[in-house]
Amino acid sequence: MPKSFLIFFLIFNGLIHSEGVAQKVFSTNKGSISFRSDAPLELITASSNEMLGRVDIEKKIFAFIIKINSFVGFNSPLQREHFNENYLETTQFPTASFTGKIIEDIDFSVDGTYTIRAKGSLSVHGVVQERIIKSDVIVKKGLISIKSEFTVLLADHNIAIPKVVHEKLASEIKVEVKADLTSS
Amino acid sequence: MSKVLYCFILTASAFFLFTEAYAQLNRYNTFKLEKDNRQVRINSIFKNNQGYLFVGTDNGLYKFDGIKYTRIPFINTEFNDTVTAIFQDRTNKMWIGFRSGRIANIINNKLQYFNPEEGTPQKKITSFLQDSEGNLWFSAQGEGLYCLKQNRLYLINTDDGLSDNNVSKIILADNDEILAGTDQGINVCTFKNGKKNISVIGPQDGLPDYIVTTIINAGKNSFWIGLQDNGFCLYDRSRNKITIPKPAEAWKFGQINAMLQAQNILWIATQKNGFYKYSALDNSLNKAPESEVANNINALLEDDQGNLWLSSPGNGLVRSPGESLKLIPIPGSPPFEHIHTILCDRNGNIWLTNKANELIRFSVTNGNTTEKKLHLNGITEKTDITSLYQDLYGNIWVGSMGKGIYIVNPETFKYRVLTENSLFINSGILSINGNENTVFCSSLSGAMVVELQPENKDIFNNYRFTNYDNKSTGTNYIYSIFKDSRNRIWFATDGKGLTMLSNDRFTYYNNLDQIKDNRIYSITEDRKGNIWFSTSNAGIYKFDGKSFVNFGINEGISNLNISVLKTDNAGNIIVVHKTGLDILNPESGNISYISSGQGLSEINAQDIGAVTKDTAGNIMLSTVAGILTYSGQPNILQRPVTLIESVQLFLKDIKDTASHVFSHDENNFTFNYTGLYYTDPEKIYYKYKLEGFDTNWVITNDRTKNFPKLGPGSYTFRIQSALNRNFKNAHEATYSFTIKQAFYKTWWFVLICLLAVASLLYLYIKNREKELKKIESLRQEKIQFQFEVLRNQINPHFLFNSFNTLISAIEDEPHQAVEYAEHLSAFFRNVVNQRDKDLITLNDEINHLYSYIFIQERRYGEWLMMDILISEEQKKIFHIPPLSLQLLLENAIKHNAVSKETPLHIRISVTEDNYLSIRNNKNAKSGKEKGAGMGLQNIISRYKLLTDKPVTVINDKQYFIVLLPLLN
Repeated sequence: MPKSFLIFFLIFNGLIHSEGVAQKVFSTNKGSISFRSDAPLELITASSNEMLGRVDIEKKIFAFIIKINSFVGFNSPLQREHFNENYLETTQFPTASFTGKIIEDIDFSVDGTYTIRAKGSLSVHGVVQERIIKSDVIVKKGLISIKSEFTVLLADHNIAIPKVVHEKLASEIKVEVKADLTSS
Repeated sequence: MSKVLYCFILTASAFFLFTEAYAQLNRYNTFKLEKDNRQVRINSIFKNNQGYLFVGTDNGLYKFDGIKYTRIPFINTEFNDTVTAIFQDRTNKMWIGFRSGRIANIINNKLQYFNPEEGTPQKKITSFLQDSEGNLWFSAQGEGLYCLKQNRLYLINTDDGLSDNNVSKIILADNDEILAGTDQGINVCTFKNGKKNISVIGPQDGLPDYIVTTIINAGKNSFWIGLQDNGFCLYDRSRNKITIPKPAEAWKFGQINAMLQAQNILWIATQKNGFYKYSALDNSLNKAPESEVANNINALLEDDQGNLWLSSPGNGLVRSPGESLKLIPIPGSPPFEHIHTILCDRNGNIWLTNKANELIRFSVTNGNTTEKKLHLNGITEKTDITSLYQDLYGNIWVGSMGKGIYIVNPETFKYRVLTENSLFINSGILSINGNENTVFCSSLSGAMVVELQPENKDIFNNYRFTNYDNKSTGTNYIYSIFKDSRNRIWFATDGKGLTMLSNDRFTYYNNLDQIKDNRIYSITEDRKGNIWFSTSNAGIYKFDGKSFVNFGINEGISNLNISVLKTDNAGNIIVVHKTGLDILNPESGNISYISSGQGLSEINAQDIGAVTKDTAGNIMLSTVAGILTYSGQPNILQRPVTLIESVQLFLKDIKDTASHVFSHDENNFTFNYTGLYYTDPEKIYYKYKLEGFDTNWVITNDRTKNFPKLGPGSYTFRIQSALNRNFKNAHEATYSFTIKQAFYKTWWFVLICLLAVASLLYLYIKNREKELKKIESLRQEKIQFQFEVLRNQINPHFLFNSFNTLISAIEDEPHQAVEYAEHLSAFFRNVVNQRDKDLITLNDEINHLYSYIFIQERRYGEWLMMDILISEEQKKIFHIPPLSLQLLLENAIKHNAVSKETPLHIRISVTEDNYLSIRNNKNAKSGKEKGAGMGLQNIISRYKLLTDKPVTVINDKQYFIVLLPLLN
């Protein structure tokens, strides 16, 4: 089990057991995440529906994690191979994650639509960057729907782009996350 | 208003306290900001790098030019937001923080929200700063502090070790350390290479209170910390040391809202208990007089001219001269308009006289005033005291009008009249002054110079003096005497100019030396040793030892009724007149003013002694409303800064980013400009010139100028602003732009037009030539045709046949012969008549044809058959060339054998498409007659000139048909 997964479960499983109140933690294991590289010569998109996510609405802490090799939808199988082997080096860094705390003081037990900001650590390609990510949150009948968009700079995460593919790969990758979390 | 009050003071002297309050109020100007008749709450004031004041309010952002507030709207005019923080970064970009947590920039004079990907804070923005790397920092009350680094937003809050998220103020310290004032002490934050480092300074480190409300820079990496409950303290970041000034130790004035370090004073605004000034020099804390006009001051600022600005929720902005123009609180003091002279002695005591001309000494210690009165024997309320002087030994010299000089010991208050100089007994003293061990006295009967000796410590010992009268100084009337830094003695004479005594030699300067007025009142010296003196009505002069330079109204002196010149401790020449002070910088020649606009009441300026200097070297003035001190500040910008606020094209703002090149019809320009000068904004003069249009500068008071119809060209609008009509050192702003030539005035377009005209002309001439040729050939054809017809008719055959027919007719039927001859005659008449016409009606032609047919029928009888199938109407409408039908008929007869066996059948009709068809059956003669085809060819040619429709000839086996186009 990779290290970041360990952290993920350590934080949350520990939490749940110690608190013993399950309703405080909302989770999903099929959150969707997609990214988009809009380079002058090529548009690359890929997505995955295997994002794990947990939010503790009382402590306002959260963690989201995704296996990099679960991304599908590339322009060609070769591209996917390059993505996993050359750029994100999946064997060495199998997951990407975002963990941290929600800045706004919002009561998620009340139904409504909120815009929140989360401050945390974004780990991609083994490089951790502090980030603030803005999300739209809809709370309705025990379901928390999260939608957020943000960008990842390849340079921020030591992802080197060979000069040959410079025109085919954007230096700024747009990421979109959607997840419905339930308490269970 | 002031006159009314002046009378009021005279009649009701019991209201002194009220007059004092009046005098104080007068020194402050309030600028209320109202919307819908309600005061708009001001939250923050900011000065941008041009010196422009910006005001953040509950109704958004305003800029303030000293006269009016101008609101800066959002791009979407429906937006509004409460401004809580204002900042300008080093690229001149303005950052505006709002209570909502949002942030905006000013782009093209409009507010535009800043929308980072990370989202914006949700809590009130409290302050901004920019670190040395150019990163922008801002704090949000309740969220911590943010850093905008390479377009990415980072948050530093309690999760990172910040002691509290309620950040009231952030300020930059050395080494890019950020000091953040919070509800839990000061946090020192750094954020380098992605690493956050925070250390907390709290009560455990000596901070007197947890809650920090404000932090300002105190210089040398030290900061004044304003606290919620326990006053203020100084934090030296380099030594990490907190110092609590003594007056702050037992602070009882509650929460500090704002602080400002200006004019060597720390100004402290409290939430509920007024406005204070702390002087680090003497470690004193005093309530500032501004407390009376502004409550709950929440923001402070010093402008580029050294004025203090306070914002209070109830009064809007308040401008105060602060320490630079200060009223000395003298309670119960006499009506000041009686004062001819004042003196501040070396102990800081103020000497003046009351209405009864008693001498009064005021001592101010620790805010308490004590006074001591001295009645001088011989002095009544009718004997004016004209001058007061303290000599080297501290004794006070008192000059009177008509009773000579009294000398007073300030310790014992013993005094005597100076009697040893007979010239001065009962004389009228004009002035007493001096320096070091010399005392100068001038009177209406001459002048004396007293050399003080050690025994003169005691006023009862005799003084050694030298008298100067008209033999030496040129006149007995001397207004004042001045000893310069080179020990030269200068006498200001009444009507004899300036007299200088140096090494026992007198030199006289008067109107022979370019001095326009020989009545000299007052003399002073600048730091470079130049002598300055004032005249009774020709302004002031500067004398550098060689030449005299005059400063009058044109040079910016506001009033020529000058009584005194003084040099202040900033080195400026202070020109005192009744309506105020002109402050002349001897280096630049710039003059600024202190007058009623700054709250200065009428000065007792007729009196040379009404102006003195206090112990700190400040100018002390006696005005009708009280004694004021003016302290000149050397490094203050005393000239307006010229700004072009906006440039408009047809009264619509041109965007800042727009190019300065305009098309030929974009030619109506309006320039809106300001001379920023917060001390007295209404007084600004402007001088402009549009280079490329104006040849001369124009001086105006308007703040806008329109140029309605500018032609193409390159222009530079130059605008200067100044405090007077002397623009010598004026600050200038410019706007250069180009209006392009209209395309129809460019050389290439003109060339194309010329070429086009030339070619059109050429075509016209060509066409006309062709036309003329055509007309010519028509004429030729006509002549040819006429000739042909005539030739045919006088063809011997035709005549021979006709005559034979006629002869036989005469014999057989004489009656018919006459008819025949008549037809023959008519035929020839028609030929002659119609030959000149271009067209005739079909009717005329057919009538003519009948004559011809009649003649021919006589010859051929019934072998010649004619059918004319033309309606009367058609005959009238249509036209054909004359004789053409006859010619065709003639041809038919000529070319065909006409006999019993071969009758000739000719049919003339109109076709459906309006052609005249002449058809005959063919019965060709064997031999071709001469001239055959000439007639038909001629008809075709004539038609060509008349119409585009062709003449068609059909020559088949059976018929010969000619189709002539009919013309309308």
